[in-house]
Parts: sequence; structure tokens; C-alpha cells
Amino acid sequence: MGIFGKLFSKEPEIDMAKSDANRGKMRTLFNQVVENGDGYKLVFGFTEDVSRFNYGLVHGSKSKIGNLIVGWNEENETIVVVPTVPDLSGCGDPAYYRRSEILKAYRNKYPTDAFIIYPDRKGYIGINIYDWLEDESLYVYVSQDQEVKEFTDFFMNRYKTK
Amino acid sequence: MPWGEIGAVLAVLVIVFVAGHAWFHIVEGALGLLKRLFFRKKEPPAWHPLPPEQEEGGSREE
Repeated sequence: MGIFGKLFSKEPEIDMAKSDANRGKMRTLFNQVVENGDGYKLVFGFTEDVSRFNYGLVHGSKSKIGNLIVGWNEENETIVVVPTVPDLSGCGDPAYYRRSEILKAYRNKYPTDAFIIYPDRKGYIGINIYDWLEDESLYVYVSQDQEVKEFTDFFMNRYKTK
Repeated sequence: MPWGEIGAVLAVLVIVFVAGHAWFHIVEGALGLLKRLFFRKKEPPAWHPLPPEQEEGGSREE
């Protein structure tokens, strides 16, 4: 891209070195907590919990973002979700969603095209996945076009239940 | 409308905005305090930090 192209380009450039470093950290964290972690492909996802509040003088809505390392194994038809933080300094315990054990799974259409998994009747998880998100304070900085395509293909063709 | 009145209206709007923010944070703080008091016994979720060598490697590349 030339000088004028850079000056007038509206699309931000992705720092691939940073993205690759974060991809490595995601793999390390995932393998640390998931047995046979290398058997899973990885993608970054997040949950968004939106709640409304009314404090009398002020009312509105607030949202909480939860960062996730999402792993999927095509042979076992299993999705593993590991909570993490945007700087990938650590992670929580994994949650396993085996297709044979879940209640249902589908892709949402509105308000977001999140991947929804109901492990049972009590609750669900909505996983949002995008190619790249610029805000490093909220999301893991990783460029993942190919992974998003592969995960979407797996979910839609082999994992979803309806 | 004279400049004085415009300034007064703007000042009132700023006061309402600041008071709203202050009220929001006061209520949030009070609710957080109550939650901490009543759910103190709840164990924090397990946390696994990134191994140090990986952290150094990541920051070197940045």
C-alpha cells in the first residue's frame, strides 16, 4: 500500500506479529488445562451479558464481555470453552460440550449471529466469533479468518442439532 | 436567546450529567458492597496463569 493509500485507508492494519504471539499464548493456555489439547483446533470467542438497570435517577443497560478460548474436535464432535482475559495472562477451568450430551445447539440470527449451546435446560452459552476485533482492552487481539470459517463449517454441518 | 441563558441551560445539563454519573457509581458501589457481604463464602473460580517463559516470549515479539 502506498503513502496515499495508508493516509486515506479507513481499514486499520492488523499487527500480525502480535496476533501470532497471542495465537501461541492461546494454544499454551488451552493445552495447559485441556487433556490432549493438540487434538483441538482453536478460535477466540466471547460472551456478552447485557443487563438493564434502573436506579431511579438514571437507567440504561450495561454489558459484560467474557473472553473465551474455544476449541473444537471434529472426530469427537466436542467443543471446549476456556475462559480467559484479553491479555491472555491466564485462564479458568474448561467446560466441555459434547454433542452427544448437550440438549441443543444452533446458530442465532437475531440480535447477533452467535453460536448457542444449551448443555441442559438450566442455562446456555452464546459464543460470538469474529475475524478480528480491534479493541485490545476488551478482546484478545488475534486475526483468525481461516479459523472462523472452519469453526462455522464444523458447527453448522456437524455440531448443531436443529 | 441571550448568551447568558444558553450558558445557564448548558450548565444545568452538565450538572444533570455529572449528578447522574455520580448517582450511578454510588448505587453500583453500594450493590457491590452488599454482594461482597452476602456472597463472601463463595470460592473464587480456579485460575491458571500463563507460564512465565511464554509471557516473556509474547512481550518480546511485541
